[in-house]
Amino acid sequence: MSPTPSIDFTKLTLCDALDLATIIEEEAKERYEEFAHQMELHHNPDAAAFFLFMLKIEALHEGRIAGRRRELFGDAPRNVRRELIFDVEAPEYHEVRSTMTHREALETALRAEKKAYAFFDAAMKHVADAEVRSLFSELREDEIEHAGLVEKELAKLTPDSKIKAEDVEDEPIAH
Amino acid sequence: MDDLVIGMAGSGGDGIVSAGESLIAAAAYEGYHALMTKSFGSQVRGGESSCRVRLSTNRVENVGGALDVAVALNWEDFLKFGAELPVSGNTVVIYEAKTGVAPEAIPLVGVAPTEVFAVPIGDMAKQAAGSDKAKNTVVLGLIAGWFGIAREAILRGLRKKFIKKGEELVAANQRAFEMGEQFAREHPLKQPRMMKRPDEKAGKKLLTDGNDMCAAASIFAGCEFFGGYPITPSTEIMQFYTREVWKYGGAVLQAEDEIAGIGAALGASIAGKKAMTATSGPGLSLKTEIMGLASIAELPLVIVDVQRGGPSTGLPTKPEQSDLFAAAFSAHGDVLRPVLAPTSVADTFDVTVESFNIAEQYQTPVLLLSDQEIAQRKETVDPIDTSRFKIVDRRKPTATELSDYHRFRNTEDGVSPISHPGMPGGNYQGAGIEHNERGNPTASGRVHQAMSEKRFRKLAPLKRRTDLFKVEGNPDAALALVAWGSIAGVCREAFLRAKGDGLDVKLLVPWLLYPIAEEVYRDFFASVKAGFVVELAYQPQLYRILRMFVDVPAGIQPFNRSGANPIQPREVVAQLRNASLSLQQPAMPPSSEV
Amino acid sequence: MTTTPPILPTYQAKDFKSDLKPIWCPGCGDFGVVQGIYRALASVGRAPHDIAFISGIGCSSRIPGYTTAYGFNSVHGRALPIAQGIKLANPDLLVLVAGGDGDGFSIGGGHVPHAIRRTLDITYIVMDNQIYGLTKGQLSPTSKRGLKTVTSEYGSLEAPVNPLLYVLAYGANFVAQGTPADMAGLADVIEQAIRYPGFSFVNVQSPCVTFGMEGQQVKAHRATMKTLASINHDPANRLAAMDLAQQYGQSLHTGVFYKNPDPPPTLDGQVRERQRQLAEKAIPRERILDMFVQK
Ligand SMILES: Cc1ncc(C[n+]2csc(CCOP(=O)(O)OP(=O)(O)O)c2C)c(N)n1
Ligand code: SF4
Repeated sequence: MSPTPSIDFTKLTLCDALDLATIIEEEAKERYEEFAHQMELHHNPDAAAFFLFMLKIEALHEGRIAGRRRELFGDAPRNVRRELIFDVEAPEYHEVRSTMTHREALETALRAEKKAYAFFDAAMKHVADAEVRSLFSELREDEIEHAGLVEKELAKLTPDSKIKAEDVEDEPIAH
Repeated sequence: MDDLVIGMAGSGGDGIVSAGESLIAAAAYEGYHALMTKSFGSQVRGGESSCRVRLSTNRVENVGGALDVAVALNWEDFLKFGAELPVSGNTVVIYEAKTGVAPEAIPLVGVAPTEVFAVPIGDMAKQAAGSDKAKNTVVLGLIAGWFGIAREAILRGLRKKFIKKGEELVAANQRAFEMGEQFAREHPLKQPRMMKRPDEKAGKKLLTDGNDMCAAASIFAGCEFFGGYPITPSTEIMQFYTREVWKYGGAVLQAEDEIAGIGAALGASIAGKKAMTATSGPGLSLKTEIMGLASIAELPLVIVDVQRGGPSTGLPTKPEQSDLFAAAFSAHGDVLRPVLAPTSVADTFDVTVESFNIAEQYQTPVLLLSDQEIAQRKETVDPIDTSRFKIVDRRKPTATELSDYHRFRNTEDGVSPISHPGMPGGNYQGAGIEHNERGNPTASGRVHQAMSEKRFRKLAPLKRRTDLFKVEGNPDAALALVAWGSIAGVCREAFLRAKGDGLDVKLLVPWLLYPIAEEVYRDFFASVKAGFVVELAYQPQLYRILRMFVDVPAGIQPFNRSGANPIQPREVVAQLRNASLSLQQPAMPPSSEV
Repeated sequence: MTTTPPILPTYQAKDFKSDLKPIWCPGCGDFGVVQGIYRALASVGRAPHDIAFISGIGCSSRIPGYTTAYGFNSVHGRALPIAQGIKLANPDLLVLVAGGDGDGFSIGGGHVPHAIRRTLDITYIVMDNQIYGLTKGQLSPTSKRGLKTVTSEYGSLEAPVNPLLYVLAYGANFVAQGTPADMAGLADVIEQAIRYPGFSFVNVQSPCVTFGMEGQQVKAHRATMKTLASINHDPANRLAAMDLAQQYGQSLHTGVFYKNPDPPPTLDGQVRERQRQLAEKAIPRERILDMFVQK
């Protein structure tokens, strides 16, 4: 994860925390959508399908958190902005390749879930508000659950072939 | 006399060109038609210099042929200008007596002028003004005295010129002038040659050169930006901009090279402003890539190419009409780029305004092909009524069009409304890459075909612009002349003389050189049996291009030669006369039947 | 977080993101750069229609198309002159320029010093991947000596251009470097560059995942990069900046190398001033030929 503009966790209200979580899921969801598109464009249907799968998971999660936020705080204005975070649960742009295998795509997502876990874990140390703490702990556990889902998928895969896509593709020819 | 051609030469320090400037300024003030060209040695400073001034009570469109008056401050310098200062038996030759050459021994080969004057010009200057720096003023006095031209206006001009330096200098120059006049009075011509006064109603004329006219016209047309790089003989356009454009809220950039110059101009056009660049042959080559960009990005832009002798550095101070191929064809990809050419300082105004109008109307780069002669010669111009010109501005999108904006919408006429940065709702991606109507990049052959078709279709109406062609003479004439650029002025005089001689001839002068308006030429050539496309270039470029597009009658031939070899009206008349004679011969039977 | 609602910014990063989907190779560093630009523009808060974003040709030069600004993907190496024309023609616009290292320091290299000395208020972002991406892996002017590419079969014999030193030497008043390995830092230097009044330059070490070297990828950046803040570099110190810039190609410093605390007047500002001063001297356009009347 890139260093993130400082969020003052000590001052986070429950509403802010829910918004922050929503934004984090939103970012991840959009990233998977972009990755799915990139993979389609570069003729990698396995990775594309997997990223679409991740997109659904993140979308569900986002929906759940956003629903709770509405229930508790209605449409009170948002104090946290997307511009405060970078790549919390979203895998980073540089982690994908057009030639990546299905397995590598899963591993990318797995790393991202673990990264999100680490984020909430670290954040909790600074949180004073009890409600926020319990929310963050919940979110942290969610990431474990997501990671579990991905790991289950991983287990289903046969090992990658020794022949890499780079070895057989028509282009590029440099190097 | 109603027409007088004066040629003068000296070393740079003699100020002979400056005398010519004074003369033509006075002539313009008096209401004469006049035209002046200058020529310099290749030294940046202090070389030999010469000028030709032609004055007339009628319209003048070229520098004329042999000199009526030749002034040589020294013979060596005079002779360096050879063909530019041709002396005939009728020429009044005036030269500096100090050269020590006897009037019978002047170093002119093959002519024996009847009126030759050795004048102690330097001594007279010293006597009158205390310095031989006033030689050029003495020369003015001689000319005013012998030919009766514009005395008061010359004196007025001298006063204006020297008053900044004090009354004393004004008086000294006046004395030098009068001394010249007095010499003329004391040594009358054998055959008096007093110039007719211009028509009382003629009124004052404008006086300028093609480059300044082009620059002024562009500002009139609404141009607000110039980007360019100095190159002879186009630089004066940029210089004009550095003086004037700020006043109109615009800007000028002397760029690091020609590419950056046209790049910045293109940028200004993207920003919604009318913009131009100017250059000469070598610079045109550098600008070619960005001209292609302007074509595909459909951006209005005027590129002036002041032609000089080429290729490469060639003859940078001499005119030539050898960039037409480059103007029309130097492009990568399928491009149609309008090319227009003025034929005089006066119509440089019209053609420049037209160039901007066409660029704006059709969102296209337009190449304005001037040449060294038009660009740098001074010419009197009758006052121009600017209210008869319509100024065209690029079509901006309406609110409705902006609600679903497609920058490159394939409209019926092929012209799409164009927005610019700063306009809310008009955001688009411009590009050199092929794009769809929204401006998004594509490699689709179908879109490329459709967009190419659009970019050609939008320019089709241009070919119907008959006002961009000047046709004169009997429409059914069997003889014809076609000429463009500065040579057109030579051909017009030839045309008038030939007509006066009873030849059945007509003349076509295109302002629009490309795309070729096939129908205009077809109509013009319908009656033609013989004639000439006259061009100042080793390759007859317009003639060749015409043959690509039009059924040029076999009797139409090129009459052309390299730049810096002026073509004179009488040569063209002679060509026409011969052509007419050959038309009157019965057709030769094919040799097999003999 | 404060309890009083903060003043919400007018623009969010997503307002600058266009519908066009990038066709860069998955993993390309340029994805990070465009994100950084969205963020920076959101912070700066100018409307997309007031932004002109000009690029040359190359993979990186596709970037304007991925924003909602007025974009122009011009020709190879000529983005800077075009951008300067735009800024001179309309100084109200926010003008961004971007391209690759080949675009900026090879074919367009001659334009850089002039853009610098003119001090127009524009921002130039170079995505420096030390390789030609679009044309598939040839040597670039910033390629390391010895690099083997399709045009340097046995290794390059030439020393690279040092973009940081190049612009500093020509007198650039704002010079920074970033990498997508530090997104916040990258967005920050781009924002500072945009806000800087005058010509500002950001070199982004933007890895090419397809043709670039292993040691120039984001992972390697993250392992080796040093922020200039962490070594207490004073960005007002031009000579110190030049010293650090010397290490281009050996160590990766990110942040602001040099920011002239006393920016010289911008050219666009001076142009406006001149226009103001001279406006009253204008002959009305329709009477401009009066200047040729012999008086
Ligand atoms: C006049 C011209 N010459 C050459 C090219 C081919 N060309 C396109 S992009 C490019 C270099 C790309 O490298 P760089 O500028 O570093 O950008 P990158 O693709 O790496 O982002 C070249 C040589 C061109 N488009 N135009
Ligand atoms: S070739 Fe390199 S620079 Fe170009 S898109 Fe791919 S990764 Fe990026």
